[in-house]
Amino acid sequence: MFLEVNQIVKSFRREHVVRDLTFSLEAKRTLSILGKSGCGKTTMLKVIGGLVKPDSGTILLNGNDVTQTKPEQRNIVYLYQEDLLFPHMDVFENIAFGLRIKKIQKAQLDERVNQMIHSLELEGQEHKMPEQLSGGQRQRVSFGRAIITNPSLLLLDEPFGSLDAGTRQRMQLLFKKLTAEYNITSLFVTHDLKEAVLMGDAVGFMSNGHLKVYSEAQDFVNDPGTGVQDEIKFWNDLKVTKS
Amino acid sequence: MQASWKFTILYLLVGLVFFPFAYMILLSLSSEWRFPALLPSYLGLMHWKTLLGSEKGLLNSLFSSSVISVSVALVATSTGFILSRVVYYHPRKRWLNLLAYFPYILAPVVFAACLSFFFLKMGLFGNIQGVIVAQFLIAFPYALLFFSSFWNERLRSLEDLVATLGGSRYHAFRKVILPMAKGMLLVCFFQTFLISWFEYGLTSVIGIGKVQTLTIKVFMFIKEANYYYGAISCCLLIFPPIVLLYFNKKYIFKKMA
Repeated sequence: MFLEVNQIVKSFRREHVVRDLTFSLEAKRTLSILGKSGCGKTTMLKVIGGLVKPDSGTILLNGNDVTQTKPEQRNIVYLYQEDLLFPHMDVFENIAFGLRIKKIQKAQLDERVNQMIHSLELEGQEHKMPEQLSGGQRQRVSFGRAIITNPSLLLLDEPFGSLDAGTRQRMQLLFKKLTAEYNITSLFVTHDLKEAVLMGDAVGFMSNGHLKVYSEAQDFVNDPGTGVQDEIKFWNDLKVTKS
Repeated sequence: MQASWKFTILYLLVGLVFFPFAYMILLSLSSEWRFPALLPSYLGLMHWKTLLGSEKGLLNSLFSSSVISVSVALVATSTGFILSRVVYYHPRKRWLNLLAYFPYILAPVVFAACLSFFFLKMGLFGNIQGVIVAQFLIAFPYALLFFSSFWNERLRSLEDLVATLGGSRYHAFRKVILPMAKGMLLVCFFQTFLISWFEYGLTSVIGIGKVQTLTIKVFMFIKEANYYYGAISCCLLIFPPIVLLYFNKKYIFKKMA
């Protein structure tokens, strides 16, 4: 397995936020993780990204133990719900940021950034500042900035949470296209049932710090704890009432 | 009709603001101006020439004030910025911020009296270094409190993001935090420069008359009832802040807006 998370525990003071977190993920696959607010999803991602230290447990990435590795040496990029573009840099510089840190040569950097801008369908926007972009465009730049560094693992924390329905749908399609194009392995956290099923090769459900991964979508749908059945019932009842 | 009244009041207020400055310049150029004479009997640069070229050392004071204020502003702004980050991430940040108000609870003279023993022991009494350190103790907490509003969860997330993109803390600071803070750094430099420039209480106690900044000179001339010399010192005193205010308005506030 490419990513192996073993018995991770994390508490803040007396509150157990992540309990006995164990799961694995194959390379070039996306695991969607669904869960209510405050169930420990963000803490789990931050532990895997190295931004929060776990109390116990291990994280193996491509066979290497990265539990104690600094975040800048893990090659795991964490994407927030907010796009967090650097406000003093234009689109080109935002996307090029990770490559400049890695001191990539100018010609190669220009080529890779321009190619990414093309993939993100942002041609002509290179020199715009973040405040001149729409929400969807900003999120695309944020994706590009993360993906261009060729991360081993991409952690997405409700990346489309602040977008309207239409933009959200377009971003989901773009994400699917980019993950295939750049062979991305990712953990995709969302609180949207439909998005979880659409985006993930497998779906996990997190509750009270525990994560349960469903290898088959049908198992996820049939489990009453995930809320899918309630959702189906709601739409069925609505259909009956209307007719 | 109503509009003309509004303009009249506006011009009157503008006149009231500028009158003390105009009067100060007039006073610095005057001599032998006694009641009930409406205008001074002499108007020229006599006092300016005497004072700038004489043993009164007004140019020396201008130089001392500039060195002290620039040093205090530079050190207070840079340390205040860096340490405000440390305070923001500290679990007891509220207490630490509260402590920063401590120097302002005491009057500057009382504060200086509290410090005088330590300054005497460290050989910082009556010299420029001592005055810089003393003024830093006033300007630094100001800078710390000023920058406390800069740090927030979004910046913390940006720092984390830089880390996951492969950047060190230096990268985050140099490439992201510092450019984002540029406007605030310049405003803080300006404010701490002004705190130091107009500081009197601490400077008079710690400097014990040996360090004569422009502010000390102004008070000295006023105590001597030499209003003409006092006015010249005041002209020199307000000139650098006006230049700084101009640059602040032209380059910084426009960017921050």
